[in-house]
Amino acid sequence: MEFTRDIYWNVGHGAWTLIPMYLLAAGAFYVLVKAFVKRVAVYRLGLPLERTDQPGVRLRRMFARMLSQKKVIRVQWPGLLHGLFFWGFGLLFIGTVLIVIQADFTDLFFGVKFLKGSFYKIFSIVLDLAGFVCIVMLGGLLVRRYFFPPEGLETKKDDAIMHAILLVILVTGFVIEGARMAVTELGTPLAAWSPVGLVIANGMSGIGEQSLLGLHKGTWWLHLFLVMGFFVLIPFTKFRHILTTSANYFFEDLGPRGKLVNIDLEDEDAETFGAAVLKEMTWKDIFDADACTLCKRCQDRCPAYNTGKPLSPMKLVNQIGEAAFTSPDANLIELIGKDVLWSCTTCRACEEICPASIEHVSKIVELRRSMVLMEGDFPGEEVMSAMEAAEVNGNPLGIGYAERGEWAEKLGIKSLAEDSEVDALYFVGCYGSFDRRNIAVAESFVKLCQTAGVKLGILGKEEKCCGEPMRKMGNEYLYQSLAVENIERINSYGVKKIVTTCPHCYNTLAKDYRDLDLDVEVITYTVFLENLIKSGELKINAEDISCTYHDSCYLGRYNDIYDAPRSLIAAAGGTLVEMGKNREESFCCSAGGGRIMAEEKIGERINIERVKMAVETGADVLLSNCPFCLTMFEDGVKGAEVEEQLRPRDIAELLVDRIEYTNPGKREKK
Amino acid sequence: MKILVCIKQVPDMESKFKIDAGGTWYEKTDLAWRMNEYDEYAVEQAVQLKEQVKDADLTVLCIGGDQVKETIKKALAMGCDRGAHIADDDSSSKEPFEKAGIIAEYAKDKGFDLIFTGMQSQDKGSAQVGILAAEILGMMSVSTIVDFSYSDGVASLKRELEGGVKACVTASTPLVVTCQLGLNTPRYPTLPNIMKAKRKELLSLPVADLLKVDSRQETAKIYFPEKKGGGLVLEGEVAELADKLVKILKEKTGVLA
Repeated sequence: MEFTRDIYWNVGHGAWTLIPMYLLAAGAFYVLVKAFVKRVAVYRLGLPLERTDQPGVRLRRMFARMLSQKKVIRVQWPGLLHGLFFWGFGLLFIGTVLIVIQADFTDLFFGVKFLKGSFYKIFSIVLDLAGFVCIVMLGGLLVRRYFFPPEGLETKKDDAIMHAILLVILVTGFVIEGARMAVTELGTPLAAWSPVGLVIANGMSGIGEQSLLGLHKGTWWLHLFLVMGFFVLIPFTKFRHILTTSANYFFEDLGPRGKLVNIDLEDEDAETFGAAVLKEMTWKDIFDADACTLCKRCQDRCPAYNTGKPLSPMKLVNQIGEAAFTSPDANLIELIGKDVLWSCTTCRACEEICPASIEHVSKIVELRRSMVLMEGDFPGEEVMSAMEAAEVNGNPLGIGYAERGEWAEKLGIKSLAEDSEVDALYFVGCYGSFDRRNIAVAESFVKLCQTAGVKLGILGKEEKCCGEPMRKMGNEYLYQSLAVENIERINSYGVKKIVTTCPHCYNTLAKDYRDLDLDVEVITYTVFLENLIKSGELKINAEDISCTYHDSCYLGRYNDIYDAPRSLIAAAGGTLVEMGKNREESFCCSAGGGRIMAEEKIGERINIERVKMAVETGADVLLSNCPFCLTMFEDGVKGAEVEEQLRPRDIAELLVDRIEYTNPGKREKK
Repeated sequence: MKILVCIKQVPDMESKFKIDAGGTWYEKTDLAWRMNEYDEYAVEQAVQLKEQVKDADLTVLCIGGDQVKETIKKALAMGCDRGAHIADDDSSSKEPFEKAGIIAEYAKDKGFDLIFTGMQSQDKGSAQVGILAAEILGMMSVSTIVDFSYSDGVASLKRELEGGVKACVTASTPLVVTCQLGLNTPRYPTLPNIMKAKRKELLSLPVADLLKVDSRQETAKIYFPEKKGGGLVLEGEVAELADKLVKILKEKTGVLA
């Protein structure tokens, strides 16, 4: 027998089928496009933002992300369900397109049929299984949402409509196939190539042929109406994510990760800074809400949300979109709430995990900019004082600027003003320069470099805060003042390489400072030390220690530096017990987003939560690579009353204890 | 309404101080400079008054070298309308009466309804300039205010006294007030105001034109306090120790009134 089937069997291939079918399709398509055009007008309430450059790169990314579903299946439950559903539906869609191509074009006009033979067999079984997988996956998702919903999952009427229409479309698909097979394929070898349809056909074998024909034809038209209904529903329901989320992959930020947009402070005509209303946000900020499917993966990982602060990244993103469509003149700061906006630590856990490539952090900073720059508003008086201290003394701690380089004197490190012939400028940062606990880390790093024969110089009293906490709090003006001063000094000494022990300084000098004319290579100390060990210039003795390691947000999620610190711990002989939330899932210490300057007044203390996670590993030492993290963990260990169990240390301190000196008598045991 | 606020640029108190070569003041190198804290309260109150009255012109005055212009700009960014820089590279060697004289000379023909100053400066701490200026001008003055409200030519004030007690005072303009901690929380200048401040009038007047009085005092010498005696170790039972400690605090220090 021929392995094929008569497309439009029983329904009829004449004008009475084709014309209504194509008219319906055209009508549905028209409604779809018109509704989207209306939505685009709302996106355009926002400011322009260039996200169509390098279209080739963008398109490749978009298709890769869409087809692989990589971001979705990253969280396997329920991501894999969606992934399989997507692929199944994709195959069904391709299958339908092939049928249309043959039935309404190649066969109709040229008598060419390709859905036959081996190709048809594969076509048949693939689509059969795809449909079945879709129903099972959709069923799983439905059961999860309506019977075992995870905490925080919002279910709306929207969801019920979506589940219902897709389920009925899929089921009617099989009813049509079953009815057809019951009449034309039962007992033939072709039936085995549609195993699911075969089960249904067998179930229908008791029904008379006339009834089967009627059932088949009726269900076929029902199925068509439902599919057209589905197209029409796309712009009006969460279905729109099929288009908007895919588009969001295209519109992703190709720039350095986490680099904020620079405000042009020279612009004499600028009347407002930051955003307080929609027309001051960008179109992307409104569009992101349309791409959101309320999966709440961001909320699940937000350190603020999970310790009782009112911030939910998901809610914030959607509030902006909602305002755009319902009350475009609303004051967004009042709508969202100041406490919500101040709670963010810019840890990027939300953006890292978001399967729709939504950008949460820049929205929050833009709104903060309006609060700070337009109102002089801060989360607390202590933050205003820290800002003023940074203006007066170049550091938020308020310590006299002239003392900044004093910690280095006894180590023989000179400032560039005294000697600018150095291998690298060590940009120490405020905590490494002034905070006793972190000076110990700076000293450790310097000793490691000196042992390896690297000549470092510092800016000393010419160094100012990199400006990052101020920038993340919204004080763009103070950030740029500090940055410009630092860059002028760095450039005046002809520095070729900068190394930092603070990830915030690292991220800012390596990315944000590029907008302000710093072109020097910037390297973080973990990578710097790893290179020295690999090249043999620095020798470390392995000495066992039970430890766990905290991936800082600004080295980890912002820069994907997860392995270098681990190789340092391995070189030091550490027995590393990983915390559950590690690498990209690391739980912020709470000091980012400028919050190192602020007091934590709402909910539970984030740093104590993280210390508890470290204690659970049973390790003796909690290693980190950031002065903010170290400060927060020293405090957290006291707060959680685990001072006897867990000791916070920086990786540099671990290594300096294990330096292999050529003269063994020199080694100090700590 | 015309308002004047007088401010001083002082070193940040976290700086490490050294005595200068002459032994009569501190060495000016390696210091971070800022507006005198008490003058911040004065500027804030003056700006709040201007916002209340609406039809008011607020001048900020500062004596010192070119570097004080930065501090004047901050006051302008907080909301003052115009700046008067009394150019004097040698201001730190002038004594309070001279400074009061300069201010009075500047203010005498301008008809200010209210003059705000800080209660004292963080570096010299003489607490005299505002009051002396008022006396030279023949104006009423009220010092150490921690509360200020104004209506129709009458200011209602609260002065801070010992032991947390406050004195309620009403005074009619023209009036000089000196401001104390607790009066208000100085605002953080907004960026649009910082930018506008760059274009506000800032006139520099040579100090020689305004110094019409002679000095009446001179700083002989300044020095760090000598390190005296050692510590005192108390011994005994806890209750006994507590009593001894309270006695010492009461008699030997001003910690317990």
